[in-house]
Amino acid sequence: MDRTPAPAAVRQRLFALADQKNRQGPKTTVDSLAVARYGAMVGRDIRCYSRLTRAMEQARQLIDSEAEAGGAVASGTVLLAGQLAGARGRFRRQWHAPSGGLWGCLILAATLLPPSRALIPYAVGVAGCEAVRQAGAARTQLRWVNDLLWAGGKLAGFLVEGYREPHHGEEFDLVGFGINVNNRHFPGELAGSAVALAQAVGGDLCLADFAETFLACLAWNVGLLYHEEAREAREAWQLSGEGFAGPVGGHALLARWRELSDTIGRRVVYGLDVLQAPQYEATVVGLEVDGGLLLRLADGAVTSQYCGELRYLPDQHR
Amino acid sequence: MAQDIDFDELLRKYKADPFDYVDVHAIHTGRVSFRVVEGSEVQAISGEWLQIPGTVLYEINRERNPKTVAAQTNGTVASVHSELDGRFVEAGEKLLTIRHPLKKKEIIENILKEVLSLFSAPESAKYFFSMDIQSRIDKKGARAVTVEPGDEILTMSLMKRDTPVYYSGERGVIHSVYFRPGISVAQGEPLLGICAPDKLPLIQKIITRVKADWDSDH
Repeated sequence: MDRTPAPAAVRQRLFALADQKNRQGPKTTVDSLAVARYGAMVGRDIRCYSRLTRAMEQARQLIDSEAEAGGAVASGTVLLAGQLAGARGRFRRQWHAPSGGLWGCLILAATLLPPSRALIPYAVGVAGCEAVRQAGAARTQLRWVNDLLWAGGKLAGFLVEGYREPHHGEEFDLVGFGINVNNRHFPGELAGSAVALAQAVGGDLCLADFAETFLACLAWNVGLLYHEEAREAREAWQLSGEGFAGPVGGHALLARWRELSDTIGRRVVYGLDVLQAPQYEATVVGLEVDGGLLLRLADGAVTSQYCGELRYLPDQHR
Repeated sequence: MAQDIDFDELLRKYKADPFDYVDVHAIHTGRVSFRVVEGSEVQAISGEWLQIPGTVLYEINRERNPKTVAAQTNGTVASVHSELDGRFVEAGEKLLTIRHPLKKKEIIENILKEVLSLFSAPESAKYFFSMDIQSRIDKKGARAVTVEPGDEILTMSLMKRDTPVYYSGERGVIHSVYFRPGISVAQGEPLLGICAPDKLPLIQKIITRVKADWDSDH
């Protein structure tokens, strides 16, 4: 990496983002300053490594060693690696992570309630999409739940894993991220399906600068989870009648996801592991209020999915 | 405890009333309106991918977000708390009861659930065996796999967040598996029935006895 990303720069960009959202007017009732304050812990400690096997594994080791020493890893700590020797995606799929890309892991103490925790994969996907669009890849779209696609190629992958440290039983969410930034060359099996941000914008980027932008976006969207949870709690306890802050009372993060995604309306093939075991074809008709994906099957029945993945089918109307 | 079960009494009970009484609760807070009445026949969710919803039981409206809730089990509506119709209810409030006719297989499972140590879903999600447990099951079958407290036995998957699930309970073999990979399990529903090795003969006795005493599948 050209230089080390700085926590102060992440925080500065986060509050600039909050200010910018504030100026956008009364489109939603999101309290931008509150969101920024909730999310400000993301990136307050950034640890850089030239090479790791897996960032998630390093995060587990760090959590364990801190707990063993009688301390605790600060929630929001970010690990970044210059390259990963043993990166992998879900279902042990290969992930190519040479130097030039942004590879890392965010450690979050599990302080969100289960309905909000379930939306962490949305938060990291939205953050990734906002960051690459800010960098110039304006046509990037999200494919449910958080695949970043540019011109049909995969620009980034995100993986969230729960972890309970064995000493005190404290729970964490490990948010793994891999964004192809300046790494333009992909091995045979990935060539044609992966793409780098440098290809999308027509030139190399300052990796540290991009990392700070991505972490600021991640801080914003994690903050949004806490913000929406607090609003719902106040509503549930009848302290206010406000509910979620998105349009027509929906969750603001899901509303933002809809803006950045082209999934709704697409013909898809669905499967838990869609590459190895595709299950059925369907049309995506929307999102449930809690983030479930609504799929209409050939027989007209509509089902909700909270797990699994999609691949787009050729659409004659596009 | 399990050794003290009076099988004659249990079987008499099931023969006299071969039904399960399934309570249906409010899935979250909101204003509820019923779509069934006492005596209504209801159908469970069905289809190859469980994509065909069951009979709609009630609608619940929270923050202008109406949601219909369908039956997960077939049967007859035995009772409805109709005084709650149109009113605001708390999450978990009992709304109605479905009388579900039991099959022989379900009766065996019900009795076994009283004997086995049940390991339940910590969250509503999809569940898979951990890679280690799955490879042991593939080699020897589930009933030859012993699990210990602290073992990573399952992976809980929700959206794209995978969380290892650690076994807590008495040491034993995996006797019954109540989930199917790829099918969502509600929080609190049993995932596994674990049997202490010394209880295995008792389990076999239960199965043999019910099969012998129950003369039909229904």
